[in-house]
Amino acid sequence: MNYLPLAHALSAREDLPVPAWLFAWGASIVLIVSFFALAAGWRSPRFEQRHERPLGAGLSRALLGLPAQIVCGLLGVFLLGVAIYAGLEGTVAPDRNFALTFLFVTCWLGFPFFSAILGDVFRPFNPWRAIGRAAGAGFQAIAGQRPAHLAYPERLGRWPAAIGLLAVVWLEVIYGSGGVVLEPETAAVAALVYSVYTLAMMAAFGVEEWCDRGEVFSVYFGMFGRLGIFGTRDGRLERRRPFSAATGWATVPGSAAVVIASIATTSFDGASEGAIQDPIETVYEWLADAGIGLTASLRLSETLFMLLCFAAVALVYTLGVRGMRTVPGAPSLSTLRAGFAHTLIPIALAYLVAHYFSLFVFQEQAQFTYLLSDPLGTGADLFGTAGAGVDYNVISANTIWYVQVASLVVGHVMGLMLAHDRALVYWSDYRKATASQYWMLAVMVAFTCFGLYLLSVANG
Amino acid sequence: MKDVRKLTVALFVLVAAVALVACGGGDDSTTGTAGEESQAVRGKFAAVADAPAAASKVTGEAELERTNGGTTVSISVSGLEPKTPYIAHLHTGGCGQAEPGGPHFQFQKGGSEEPPNEIHLRFTSDAAGEGEATASSKREVPPGEAGSVVLHVDESHHEMTSYGAHESETVFVHEGVDHSKEGKGHEGEPQHAHSDKIACAELEGMAATEDDPQAAGDVPTIVVRDGEPVDGIAELEYSAGDEIRFRVTSDAAEEIHVHGYDLAKDVPAGGTVEFAFPADLEGIYEAELEQLGIQIAELRVNP
Repeated sequence: MNYLPLAHALSAREDLPVPAWLFAWGASIVLIVSFFALAAGWRSPRFEQRHERPLGAGLSRALLGLPAQIVCGLLGVFLLGVAIYAGLEGTVAPDRNFALTFLFVTCWLGFPFFSAILGDVFRPFNPWRAIGRAAGAGFQAIAGQRPAHLAYPERLGRWPAAIGLLAVVWLEVIYGSGGVVLEPETAAVAALVYSVYTLAMMAAFGVEEWCDRGEVFSVYFGMFGRLGIFGTRDGRLERRRPFSAATGWATVPGSAAVVIASIATTSFDGASEGAIQDPIETVYEWLADAGIGLTASLRLSETLFMLLCFAAVALVYTLGVRGMRTVPGAPSLSTLRAGFAHTLIPIALAYLVAHYFSLFVFQEQAQFTYLLSDPLGTGADLFGTAGAGVDYNVISANTIWYVQVASLVVGHVMGLMLAHDRALVYWSDYRKATASQYWMLAVMVAFTCFGLYLLSVANG
Repeated sequence: MKDVRKLTVALFVLVAAVALVACGGGDDSTTGTAGEESQAVRGKFAAVADAPAAASKVTGEAELERTNGGTTVSISVSGLEPKTPYIAHLHTGGCGQAEPGGPHFQFQKGGSEEPPNEIHLRFTSDAAGEGEATASSKREVPPGEAGSVVLHVDESHHEMTSYGAHESETVFVHEGVDHSKEGKGHEGEPQHAHSDKIACAELEGMAATEDDPQAAGDVPTIVVRDGEPVDGIAELEYSAGDEIRFRVTSDAAEEIHVHGYDLAKDVPAGGTVEFAFPADLEGIYEAELEQLGIQIAELRVNP
């Protein structure tokens, strides 16, 4: 089958499936850790209180002051411009064009990875936010008043971002099906369309409001940024306990959909070449037999399965939430649903690391050598690195396996810790809180073991 | 504490189930193309590796059909020398082998080297350099044993006698055969008499090669026809430090590119190239037809 998700078009290499013995070890450790967590759980919430320590005023001014904001914003706009220009004017070869690697590897994978450690690093570089704020400032200077905005429909919450997330992954993974490759030009046009849409929404609802709710990249990267150790408050940089900021993330409606979409899309990308390849092909053949074009059939079939992945992940989470509702003293179903959404962020991160860590390590070598020196693939050599290649020996297959399994196990533990902590908020009785966590534990074990399973299934 | 016990059981069941699914999924590694319902196997003729230059113009098709316990082989070839006698034999091996086709197919192995124990197709090309022949046998060629059909100039033509198992189109005595092409073999010894191999049409040769790696000298051969690997994407597995060695035979000129290792070799139309390099990068890498962008092999290098 001519199945060409973007990672294929960019990278010459794929990961080997995790061997059975490592799968067994991973699953066993997950179980042991889980029971240990139940037994050794603390009795009062630890992450829910704020534990911030402000950093020096000079450092805050240097990193967060207006000059820094302008420099970062300009850099973000410049890089987006370079990517779009390279996509439109550069080579059609996906792996030789700056645009695809920059957008789908450096940014789409890099921001989640670094945000999860450092905090929300995308916000200062967000090109649309920068343009929106500059436009707002310009408007104020000319009109003498702040621009007026529509009230954002509260019930919509982060649903636009969740849907946008599915759309981005659709472009990345499903568009390039049936012999069609995602060309740099297509990605550049998509980026332009998205820019127009985002700026229009910012004009309608306000820059910060839209970044917090609807702007896909702000919401998605910001979600991982909640795990990181640096934050800002009142223009002051602060250090915080890792993961503690995640507790306040899911207060906006639709947040659960964002984290579920993240887990589901990564699962789909991993499973579409292994676990669910046969069903995808079966549906594809039905559709093709029904007279739909081959490319359209394959895309439709894959879209259907991506949505099924979303539904399946949502179902597992909902079952866990419904289970918790049966514990005496439980808050309402909707409170629980929103209340535990943030506990899935570490799982989503673990999935990302497990599936894309090696692609990131290898493809960033291309990004910082030949794609930087020859962004259009025209034979230029701006920085003298155009002749360099990717060294596939920088990390061994064993290292990749250990990182994959370790990320799932660590994500699992972090998820359990956040869930246990949240349960202590809802159930003041420690015993009931623990009883409620049998359910979340089952949810987490299901996700983690499924993640391990995806890694161990032979792909191709 | 009852709850805990229940949960323990539930979790072990869950993990066991996941493990089972994983193990079950593990051997699902076939990447073959959709199965053909028909019993007919077809292959296109392409010049063999060391054929004379004129052979590069040879095109045509061979078809092998198994019906009701019998076998019919028919060929249709063009681009030949005009008015020249030719003979084709059914072989057990693939076209990519060092000796294209390997040994003749025989119903009774080690038996007679003539029909009806073997399948021979004799014909003489017409003025336009085209020709057709059909041979039938009342016995069925076992699946996988019909490797290929190999075409020769029929040097033994003038000694030809009538064989029951084939129909020859024309009986035509042609004295002006260019004997300069004849390198080896002596007339009267059938195996060697027609050793001037011109072209080969792959039928089930790759399958036979996989079953019996000895036949191909332990080197897997990927046969490309019409821009696709005839047996689907070949899965080749190695351990780090091994030598990766495989051959590619193509009916059209192409560039074969091994990604990751970033090695490329040109294969001429109807020719074969061999890759041999150390497996020093771990992971899964693709080999593809560079111009068409079609994957032909997946190289797995385990640590």
